[in-house]
Amino acid sequence: MLGKCFGVLSVVSFFFAVICHNTGAVCDAIVSGASKSVTLTISLIGIMTLWSGFMNVLKQAGIIKKLSRLLRPVLRLIFPKSFKNGVATEEITACISANLLGIANAATPLAITAIEKIQSGRKTDIASSDMITLAVLGCASFNLVPTTVIAIRQAAGASITYEIMFPVWICSGLCMVLGVVLCRILGKIYGDT
Amino acid sequence: MEILEKISSFVLPCVVLFIGLILLFGKGDFFSHFLDGARDGMKSAIRLLPSMCALVVGVSMFTASGAADFLAKLLAPVLDFIGIPSDIFPLVITRPLSGAASIATYEDIIAKTGADSFSSLCASVIMASSDTVFYVLCVYFSSSGVKKTRYALPVALFISAFAVVFSCVLCRIFF
Repeated sequence: MLGKCFGVLSVVSFFFAVICHNTGAVCDAIVSGASKSVTLTISLIGIMTLWSGFMNVLKQAGIIKKLSRLLRPVLRLIFPKSFKNGVATEEITACISANLLGIANAATPLAITAIEKIQSGRKTDIASSDMITLAVLGCASFNLVPTTVIAIRQAAGASITYEIMFPVWICSGLCMVLGVVLCRILGKIYGDT
Repeated sequence: MEILEKISSFVLPCVVLFIGLILLFGKGDFFSHFLDGARDGMKSAIRLLPSMCALVVGVSMFTASGAADFLAKLLAPVLDFIGIPSDIFPLVITRPLSGAASIATYEDIIAKTGADSFSSLCASVIMASSDTVFYVLCVYFSSSGVKKTRYALPVALFISAFAVVFSCVLCRIFF
């Protein structure tokens, strides 16, 4: 997927850079983009390290197993294959719990761990249906309090600040439900790998 | 309303406190479990760099070349027809592509139309309820070596388009 995306982006960018006389800006973008990717990755290394460590503590203490048993009735419907075969159930539970608690920066590392765990028992490079459901849920990122947006609004002197949370909850909630439903339907149509 | 922010700012410290209590009172060497897990997490994060590099370079080129602006203009009649305010068109393009670029676009919208304008409110809800789809998919899949993501990108993009439309509808109802 990424290879094709990069191909499309580079062809389109070249085309527009020539037409809009932006070749200089594109040169800068290529160089600065490469170094920006390092900054992004490094900031991710810290969060990944911390949450993977926490995850392992909770796992060894048996807490995630209890939580996973508790959430099983719901998660079984969303990730049928993983829960049927007992693969990565603890990792998926941890990721979804972080998502529901609104700890968005923990959801990413936990989702990566979950997908790695599902992948570890497979021999193909094609994503399984459960992996895709997890990724789509990640895209509808649920934040209990969208702190960045509220901070920007307060700084700009807005009178409506915290009130935006209600539409945000409804919107991300509905996106998550719709995402799961679409994934399950498409998973049925295309089959699993 | 501020009370909600207070509560949510307690969630993370509580999780960390819980871990701390396990380290203090748990039977067994839980700190070495922490270190083991943390080491694995660090390794997965480093494995992300090559694909992250390709993604960020691609997206930076795309926005710098003027293609993103052109796409926003191209989509304008469609968005206009659905009832999405024209000020937020650039945000609709940048939101799935890049976190930093979409925050910049969002701040532009606020500066241009005022923080309490309808466009700014829609933009706020869009910012908070959708994520940078390309980045999320890249990060989620690349460290485990999954290359063919099948219907993940189309569904994710559809969901984020739905989030844009639905955000505007909700803003009309709420404000």
